[in-house]
Amino acid sequence: MSDPVTFTVNGRKETVASEPDTPLLFVLRNELKLTGPRMGCGMAQCGACAVLLDGEEIRTCVTPLSYAAGKQVVTIEGLPAVWAAQKGLSASESAAPLHPVQQAWIDEQVPQCGYCQSGMMIAAVQLLAKNPNPTVAQIKDAFTNTPPSPHLCRCGTYSAIIDAVQRAAQAMKGAAR
Amino acid sequence: MTQREATALPATISRRGFVKTGGALFVSLAIPARFAARAAAAENTSSSIDPTTVASWLEIRSDNTIVARTGRTETGVGITGYYPQTIAEELNVRPETITLIMGDTDRTPDGGYSAGFLFGMNNVRKVAAYTYQTLLGLASTQLGVPVSSLNVADGVISGGGKKMSYGELVQGQHLELKIPVKGALPQPDPNGWVGMSSLDGITVQGDPPMKAIADFKVIGKSFPAGHIPDKITGKTEWSCDVTLPGMLHARMVRPETLGSTLVSAGVIDKKQFPSAQVVQKGNLLAVVSPNEWEAVQAALSVAGSTKWNDWFGLPGSENVTKAIRDYKWEKPSESKGKAAETTAALQSAIRKISTAYEQGYVRHAPIGPFVAVADVKSDGSVTIWTHSAQSQGLRARIAYMLGVPVDKVVVRWMDQSGQYGRTTLGGDGAEADAVILSQLTGKPVRVQWTLQEDLAWSTVSPAWVSDLSAALDEKGHIIALHSAQYSPHMFDPRPLGALLAGMPTATSKPGNFLATEWAYDKIGNRLEDAYGMPNLAADSPNGGLRGNIMRTPGQRQQNFALEGLMNEAAAMAGADPIEYRLAHTTDERMIHLLHATAKAANWETRPSPHRGARHTGSTPVKGRGMCLMIRENAYWVGIAEVSVVPNSGEVKVTRFTIGGEPGKIINPRQLDRCMKSGVVMGLSEALKEEVTFDKSKVTSTNWSRYKILTMEEMPEIQVVQVSRDDKGFGGGSEAANALVPPAVSAAIHDATGVCPRKLPMNPANISALLKTKSPKA
Repeated sequence: MSDPVTFTVNGRKETVASEPDTPLLFVLRNELKLTGPRMGCGMAQCGACAVLLDGEEIRTCVTPLSYAAGKQVVTIEGLPAVWAAQKGLSASESAAPLHPVQQAWIDEQVPQCGYCQSGMMIAAVQLLAKNPNPTVAQIKDAFTNTPPSPHLCRCGTYSAIIDAVQRAAQAMKGAAR
Repeated sequence: MTQREATALPATISRRGFVKTGGALFVSLAIPARFAARAAAAENTSSSIDPTTVASWLEIRSDNTIVARTGRTETGVGITGYYPQTIAEELNVRPETITLIMGDTDRTPDGGYSAGFLFGMNNVRKVAAYTYQTLLGLASTQLGVPVSSLNVADGVISGGGKKMSYGELVQGQHLELKIPVKGALPQPDPNGWVGMSSLDGITVQGDPPMKAIADFKVIGKSFPAGHIPDKITGKTEWSCDVTLPGMLHARMVRPETLGSTLVSAGVIDKKQFPSAQVVQKGNLLAVVSPNEWEAVQAALSVAGSTKWNDWFGLPGSENVTKAIRDYKWEKPSESKGKAAETTAALQSAIRKISTAYEQGYVRHAPIGPFVAVADVKSDGSVTIWTHSAQSQGLRARIAYMLGVPVDKVVVRWMDQSGQYGRTTLGGDGAEADAVILSQLTGKPVRVQWTLQEDLAWSTVSPAWVSDLSAALDEKGHIIALHSAQYSPHMFDPRPLGALLAGMPTATSKPGNFLATEWAYDKIGNRLEDAYGMPNLAADSPNGGLRGNIMRTPGQRQQNFALEGLMNEAAAMAGADPIEYRLAHTTDERMIHLLHATAKAANWETRPSPHRGARHTGSTPVKGRGMCLMIRENAYWVGIAEVSVVPNSGEVKVTRFTIGGEPGKIINPRQLDRCMKSGVVMGLSEALKEEVTFDKSKVTSTNWSRYKILTMEEMPEIQVVQVSRDDKGFGGGSEAANALVPPAVSAAIHDATGVCPRKLPMNPANISALLKTKSPKA
């Protein structure tokens, strides 16, 4: 057995028993019971397994656990806390509100089957961190041309995703004022 | 609200007793005596639902909440919005008071397909209507006010200056309402369609008074779909999330080719993979481990040392049209229309048009590959956690595979990646794998397919060829039309696991069906033929390329050919494509929608091709095209605008306008979402999708080889909705995808003067097509 790996997941320090070469996806899902990221292609071609690692989107199906050692992982389960921290809310205040991206995904009724949407929201959070007011063309570009692959939705919810990203951008701007 | 007349109903209410706390009204199934007798006479018919006890359609609870149960499930088209709306409308309650329980074979009464919402919606609407009448009757007695003087709002009945909520009405009581139903849950039947007695499920009978569409308050509003919030926060427990104590993770080791049989199974290096174990039955081979990562690695290692025999039984995807053409066709499996008149009209035509359309194999290709968990207990009971769109059919199919009565099997439904029709016939999937492995290991087993496996081994929407000819009059209008479609069949949902393991499976005999609904009533003579052949490589040990239905089945293919012909005929007549269609129909619903959609798209009335059309050159040329369709009492029009670079064959769809009129629109926003996303799926099929295979195996086994539409490739999509109160309800969740290929084909013709008659319209196919029309250099 190798030494246990320690990293931070959704603000909590975790030390896990999985072997360091285990894909982060299996560690999150099977050991930490965080089922937001999901198994899609298993080769970084679809985005269903995306999480934020130190604020950058990664595909957990091809990322070994060892790569996350000492770093900060955020899954959709941790997005409300990310938003609370951004707004400077206290722990007690932070219990309730969803991240504006999550709220926009509900308000715009984005999911059809919903399987890919966890990864889509992660991509949206990253996009809005870099570009708080993206145009439709910039949203399409971000979801299609950001390496390692496009974020794929087989139900075809792309149009709803664009609506939701723009709604979230407005909400985040409003909240920042 | 308009008070509905209370009439004598074939429903009965009984008070089973009084309870100290709570109370409820249960609406359960009353199978008429003749059905009950038949059911009892047949073998193995016991359902896990006792029609006289708790398991029921609807419960009105004393806390004013309502539980509704249906075997149909959320497939991503918004049933978790539509069903509560429908029930709420008839009961006069708020939709958010209703909790839906879906899909579990031991917790839901009706079974049936989860293909759109129409059929199941009639059930839940009638159940709610029966319940409403019963509640009125109870209130009338309690309040001492005649039913005709009662009013209901938000689940509170008032009359004579008094009022009572539904919860208060049932407080302290255990009331049971029985309603008449027909049908039975599926049983295995090797001679039945797709190997089942029937997949239709149970249908509510009778005609309880229902609200007039004009009086609707809840239906017609964009009520949110109930499944969404938990999917956004991560609370939903999906099929892929199921874990059981002692559960093993499995990875399958699939045969080297589509037809290979096992020569020798590889072995596990126990030093490297101490907890992993190989499990084998026939050609079914898997590696299991309590640790998923160990199962993955050990399966790769075992695959490397497993020997399969060679097999070369496929024609290669580039030869699939020829393989279909070369098949020894006999009689059509379905034929409809006026054979003699159509043949005579075609023979004596002053002008005739003959054309042919074709498409290779495509597939459902969900983002999440198949997954299932099965627990086979030592007493023979089987529980499966999965995501089939036909839980009851799957249950019967697994029982048939195991040779056990249906009541030994329970299927629990959970959300998973969209399936787009591949599980609608109660088969295909990871369930058989999981059941077999659980039986062999004595432990619960979770089987997770990989994407490569899913894209190589799941069922496919078969390739097809269609020949059409039409007789034209002196104005160029069609007076007779013959279509003949040839295809491997699409009714083989046999589970791969059972086939590989050599266990019992059953499905339909090869055949094809006619799906087109006829919009052109002014064309007097029409003959349609559909021919079906077995799967490609059907006689290989593993069943070959198993054909299955896929979103808008049959009509997707047949309408591409038919609307292609209509566009070609319009061009031959020198007519505008919309004007040409208007000249062939008197259907006012279609006429209205054609005008509304054309207006939204700023359609310019003129014939195709465009004056500036060109099939050579390296600068883009623009075009527009359209098509129409009727499906399940819903009317559709699609208009595509494209930009084509002739030399490269690149097609960019720049805008798509979709018009839909499905009678009364239940939920405008969900329909808007379904229409737009359907266009995305249709564009994907029109421009990109094709299952490729060589002589022995499928080769399009990842997302860079089986290409689907990306967000950047999506054009502006404009939606036109027409809702009307006088035509009932139509199907809204399919169709949109099927509008895209014919409209895009017509638009490419408009731009280049050349008709694409083959899908996909990718750069390779389009540039090759345009080059054949170019003068030799």
